[in-house]
Amino acid sequence: MDVGSISTKGVIIDDENNILSSAYIWTEGDPIGAVKKLLHLLEEDFPKGDFQIVATGTTGSARKLTGSIIGATAVKNEITAHAVGTTTFYPDVRTILEIGGQDSKIILVENRVAVDYAMNTLCAAGTGAFLSSQAKRLGIEAEDIASYALRSEHPTPIAARCTVFAESDLVHKIQMGHSKEDILAGICDAVVANYLNNVGKGKKIVSPVVFQGGVSKNQGVVAAFEKALGCKITVDENGHLMGALGAAIIARRSGARREFDFSVENMEFYTREASCGRCPNNCEIVCVYRGGELIDAWGNRCERGAVTVKGNRS
Amino acid sequence: MKPASERKVATIRYAEYSAAFKYLVEQGLDCKFILQPKQTQRTEKIGEKYSPDMVCTPFKTILGSLVEALEAGADTIIMPNGICRLSYYGELFRKILLDEGYEFDFINLNEYAMGGKTRDLIKGIGSVNPKVKMTHLISAGMESIKMVEYLDEITYEYYKGCGFDPTGGWRKAYKRFLAAMYRADTKAAIEKAYLDAKQGFDSTPLVKPAHPLKVGVIGEFYTAVDSFSNREVEDKLAGMGVEVHRWMNLSHRLIHYPGEKNLNVEIREYCTYEMGPTSTANIWAAKHYAEQGFHGLVHIKSANCTPEIDIVPILQKLSGQYKIPLLILTCDTQTSDVGLMTRLEAFYDMIEAKGRQLK
Repeated sequence: MDVGSISTKGVIIDDENNILSSAYIWTEGDPIGAVKKLLHLLEEDFPKGDFQIVATGTTGSARKLTGSIIGATAVKNEITAHAVGTTTFYPDVRTILEIGGQDSKIILVENRVAVDYAMNTLCAAGTGAFLSSQAKRLGIEAEDIASYALRSEHPTPIAARCTVFAESDLVHKIQMGHSKEDILAGICDAVVANYLNNVGKGKKIVSPVVFQGGVSKNQGVVAAFEKALGCKITVDENGHLMGALGAAIIARRSGARREFDFSVENMEFYTREASCGRCPNNCEIVCVYRGGELIDAWGNRCERGAVTVKGNRS
Repeated sequence: MKPASERKVATIRYAEYSAAFKYLVEQGLDCKFILQPKQTQRTEKIGEKYSPDMVCTPFKTILGSLVEALEAGADTIIMPNGICRLSYYGELFRKILLDEGYEFDFINLNEYAMGGKTRDLIKGIGSVNPKVKMTHLISAGMESIKMVEYLDEITYEYYKGCGFDPTGGWRKAYKRFLAAMYRADTKAAIEKAYLDAKQGFDSTPLVKPAHPLKVGVIGEFYTAVDSFSNREVEDKLAGMGVEVHRWMNLSHRLIHYPGEKNLNVEIREYCTYEMGPTSTANIWAAKHYAEQGFHGLVHIKSANCTPEIDIVPILQKLSGQYKIPLLILTCDTQTSDVGLMTRLEAFYDMIEAKGRQLK
C-alpha cells in the first residue's frame, strides 16, 4: 500500500510480480478511512480461494500509520519503494522521474541500484497540486488538461518558479487573451521547467527515462518532458501504482511473513495526539488505537516521551 | 556594570562547547556561569519571533538561546566572534535584546577580535572581571581550549562507534564524559574525564562488520556541528548502523586549521578561490572522504546560508566523479522530522545497496 497525501494506492501481487488486484483512490485527508476503503476494493478482485497473502508492505507519507493498522511486515520510505518497483519492471532504467500530488522526486539508477536522488522540500510548485489548482482556475478538470494542452501550437510561457507567482502570471496571460489550450500547454511546460530546476538541478538525466506518479497520467506533461529532455519518456500503465508495487516487492524480499486478514477493514481505528510536556520540546505523540486498545505510538524525540505498548511487535 | 563577583555570565549554546566556556568563566574569570537549558523547540520559537524571517537559522537559534540565558538569570553575555556573518550578528543580538527590554551587559568579542590579535581577544574576555590577572585567565583559557579538543576528539570517536553498540556501553561512556566535562573545575578533572571516556570506549565491545558503511558529514560551521540544529542527523545515521565521520568542528576549523592555502592546493581542480569560511574545508573533506572509499556524503547547512549553497554544485560534481552518493540537507526552523527521516532512510537504502554491490 502506498498512502500519499492525495491518493492511496494498493496492489496484491503473486511471486512473479503479476498484479492480482489493484486499486487507486483519493486519500481525502483521512488515511485510515482510505486504507479501509482500499482494502475493501482490493478484496473484491482478489481470488481468495487460490492465494493467501503472506506479507504486507507500506510506503508513502502515511506508511507508519498504515503499517501499524494493517500489521505490515515491511515499512519503507517512498523513494526506495519507487526505485525497487521501477527497476524490477524496467531493469535498464537510468532515470526515474516522479511527480505526485505534493511531492516530486528524481532517482538516478546505475546497474539496477539507486545511486542518487533528490526530493522537493517545503514547496509544492511543480507538483500535481499545482496542476489541479490551475486547472480549477480555468474551470476544467485536472484529467482534461492534456486534451487541451496537446492541441496547442504555441504554449504560453508562464513564470514557473513559485506557485503563487505562476498563478498571478497566469491570470495576466488569461486577461491578455491567450487561449486555454496555449495556457494549459504553458502550465505543463512550467511544471517540467520547475521540476528540472528544482529536484533535477545538477542531476545528469540519462535515458532510458521512466516517468511515474499521478502526474505521469497527464499526457501534456509527458510531452513537455520529452520536449525538454529530447528523449523518449516511458510511462508504465501501472506507473501510478509503482510505489505500492515496490512496497509489495520489498515485503516479499524481506522474508518476514505474517498472514494478512481482510477483517482489518471492519475494525475501528483511531488516533489521538498527546503533547508530551516533559520538556519544552513538547513533542506531539501520536497514539494509534484499535478498538480501545493502544497498538502503536510515535513522535517522541527522546525516551522521556516513550509510550509503552503492550505486546509491542518490535 | 556590576562588580565581577556578582556577575552571572552566559554565552550562546553551540553543541557541547558550553562545557569549555563554563570552565573559562568559572576558573579564568572567577564569575558565576549561567548555563541555559539545551535548545528545544521553544528556543527556536523565541528566536523566530525576534528575528527577520530570511536570516539564517543559526541566528534564530542563537538568539533564542540568549533569551533563555537571560531568563535563567544571566546579566552578562559574552558573544563569541565567528568566522562568517556570525561576527556581525553580535551587534544585532544586542540591539534586538535591548529593544525587547532585557537588561544586561554585552561583551561582543568581535569588537576585540577584528584586528586579528589574540591579545585583544583575551583583553575582551578579561574585561568581564578586571580584577583577574592575565596569567590566571590565560592558563584557564589554555585548559578550556584543551577541553574543546577533547570534546571534539571524543565526539568524533563516539559517532564512529555508536551505531554498533549492542550493550549501550559506548553511549553511556560518552554521556558520562559530557557530564564530567560540564562538572570539571580543575585541569586534573578534565584529564580524568578524557581518560575515562577513552577507557570506557576501549572496554565496550562493538559489533562491527569488517567493512562497515561509512558516511562523511560535511557542512556549515554551526548547523553541521550542533546536533539540535541538524535534528540529530548523526545519531539518526549512526542508528541505522553507519560509521559517521565529521571533520568539521571547532578544533579542526579554528584551533588546528591547516590554513586556507594549504587546503586549497589539494582541491585546485574544483575551486580556485576562497568561497566562504568553511567552503574550502568542506570541499577538501568531501574529496578526502571520497578518496578513502566512503559510501556516502551528507552535506548539512541551514536555510539561507549563502557560502554553503555556493559549494553545492562543486559537491555534486565531486559526487558524480567519485560515484559517491550525496545527500543535501537544509535545516530550517520548520524542518519536520518525518521528511528528514524519509530522506535519511532512502539515503541509507542507497548506500547499503551500493555497499553490497561493491563487495
